[in-house]
Amino acid sequence: MSIRKLLAIWIFFVSIVVSIIGFHSLAVQSDIGYWIMAGSLILISLSCHASGIYSYLTKKDGKNLMMVLYGSVILTIASMSFYIPDVLDLRPWEIYARIPDQFFFALIMLLVGIFTSYLSFRPYHNYSKEGAQSGALYVLHVTILLTLLPLFIIIFNIIFRGAGGITYEFLTEDIVSMGEQGGVYPAILGTLAMIALTAIIVLPLGVGTAIYLAEYARKGLAVRLIRTAVNILQGTPSIVHGLFGYAFFVLIVFNGQKCLLAGALTLAILTLPIVTRSAEEALNAVPGDLRDASLALGATKWQTIRKVVVPPSLPGILTGTVLGLGRAAGETAPIMFTAVYFSGAGTPNSLLRPIQALPYHLLSLYRLVGYRDVENQAWATALLLLIIVLGINISAIIVREKYRQRF
Amino acid sequence: MIKKILGILKDDGECVYKELPNGMKMRIEDFDLWYGKTQALKSVNMNIKKNKVTAIIGPSGCGKSTLIRSLNRMNDTIPSVRTEGQIWLDGYDIYDDTADCVDIRRKIGMVFQKPNPFPFSIADNIYYGCQVNGMKVDKDEVVKRCLKQAAILDEISDRLGDNALSLSGGQQQRLCIARALAIEPDVLLMDEPCSALDPIATAKIEDLIHELKKDYTVVIVTHNMQQAARVSDYTAYMYLGELIEFGKTKQIFENPKEESTEKYITGRFG
Ligand SMILES: Nc1ncnc2c1ncn2[C@@H]1O[C@H](COP(=O)(O)OP(=O)(O)OP(=O)(O)O)[C@@H](O)[C@H]1O
Ligand SMILES: [Mg+2]
Repeated sequence: MSIRKLLAIWIFFVSIVVSIIGFHSLAVQSDIGYWIMAGSLILISLSCHASGIYSYLTKKDGKNLMMVLYGSVILTIASMSFYIPDVLDLRPWEIYARIPDQFFFALIMLLVGIFTSYLSFRPYHNYSKEGAQSGALYVLHVTILLTLLPLFIIIFNIIFRGAGGITYEFLTEDIVSMGEQGGVYPAILGTLAMIALTAIIVLPLGVGTAIYLAEYARKGLAVRLIRTAVNILQGTPSIVHGLFGYAFFVLIVFNGQKCLLAGALTLAILTLPIVTRSAEEALNAVPGDLRDASLALGATKWQTIRKVVVPPSLPGILTGTVLGLGRAAGETAPIMFTAVYFSGAGTPNSLLRPIQALPYHLLSLYRLVGYRDVENQAWATALLLLIIVLGINISAIIVREKYRQRF
Repeated sequence: MIKKILGILKDDGECVYKELPNGMKMRIEDFDLWYGKTQALKSVNMNIKKNKVTAIIGPSGCGKSTLIRSLNRMNDTIPSVRTEGQIWLDGYDIYDDTADCVDIRRKIGMVFQKPNPFPFSIADNIYYGCQVNGMKVDKDEVVKRCLKQAAILDEISDRLGDNALSLSGGQQQRLCIARALAIEPDVLLMDEPCSALDPIATAKIEDLIHELKKDYTVVIVTHNMQQAARVSDYTAYMYLGELIEFGKTKQIFENPKEESTEKYITGRFG
């Protein structure tokens, strides 16, 4: 391996470490002093100089001086870092946007680190096109990583803090003394019952609408109106669904009584657009050739839909429905006015009685933190909710992969 | 619109009946078809004789598929399509408002240009037509007979339970032919049924067409001149949506009246 490549690898390695330090400091708000930042920038700068000068000496080509130039820019930034607060004149802004030095430094380290590691592909591939190519690929990978990172941080955080609270007692008992003791057994059952009931309501409605849209409606004004309505429904904040559910279902239909059915109806309205959309997509994915084949054999349109179009799109329909239900399972706003009590509802035993549910339990515990000793219980509830929602989503993926139809 | 309302008011028995000359199965009369604003068929007139094979030839895009799909009202599935004129089947106008598409398609089977088997088992593919039409038949018997007629039984007799999509393109096409035979239509429409087949399978299909002539009326679209000459009794030559020439196959190939027909048949087209 040539010295040029070794230098490039060294730059890559150093800049990755720098960006990780920057990211870590951003994530957990730990201090970054002037010296750490200036030091790491100077290290990067010197390495870039070394790489650039070495390649220029071995092969006199103007392109090779790129890294030298870049190294000088970094050196300038590093030397400015002592003055940054004054140079940018951050002080007068402080009341509006508090940007502490450490935040600013961490951000610079993160960005410079990522950019330098991207640049290091150039000298490694001797400034050829391939260098630009693999550098771009690398940046895409970094983007993916940055997208997934929050997800992993959240999941590990919740598992880490919640696992201790999940005990036999927690899973099998009702809430005792405002959640300080006891468990969430009725809330688990309540959430599951609510999801099941929502599914029963939403499946026929959603699939029916989708079949109408995909198979019967000519592409005219009516279809556009229905589709716009579905989109608006999807864009509506869930708290609005909750208030509507309260104003309509609870107050008018059920005489002011919060109940399981009112909550499920509200959640059904919330998930309806998701189910309709995915079902319509699944139906549209069935090739038109098959419809023609069936019609040409003397089948009616309805026979065609029932026997040829719907069966292969069932996995898609189910996946969409389950994903929608996964979302519904975690919602608090639509059920808090329509269906749930924090305590005292017991295990669900009637459609017309209120229930307890995990998301609302979590919200209530969060409100009590500071007044009561419920933090562990709250984390455990969060973990349980996460498990249920992830479980629902994973089962959707399994169904889809197992029964996916290829044409 | 008024015609439509009248059509609804009419009793089933009251639809227009027009005796076709002896030996004639279908008659296309002043038939026009538009896709939106573009006219794809221009005043086509043509007779289809019973128990004969009629071939439709012509350059790509001239409207062969459009015409053959008009014969069993498959074009109804395309929203932008508008038609004028009549197509008579056994004396009844299939474009009359009282006509029942499902019934028409039950009597006029079709094999499409691209093979389109259902994602079911091979046997279920064949049985599907009988099932939706409520025909009381022995499934095994129908499946075996139709596959044999379509010259594919020997190749796949041990795979009848397999998904039809696992077949090769040519096998799929023969399966589609077998599927069309299962509902025992009066007329069989075939849109380039051999374009995906090798010479051996093609020869088998051509033999099959000869066989079918005894019981069925066959209309076939083909790009292959030799095939048209071999299998058909009558030939129609189309160009740019118009029927240029129609007559006995022998006459069309040996002594065409129109210059355009001759050029196309001898390959000096362009
Ligand atoms: N669904 C459609 N919408 C609009 N125009 C169409 C449609 N189908 C066919 N056409 C047009 O109608 C004309 C006739 O098409 P058609 O498919 O009948 O040709 P064809 O003779 O079968 O050609 P080929 O030999 O290539 O199959 C063509 O100009 C085509 O572009
Ligand atoms: Mg065609």
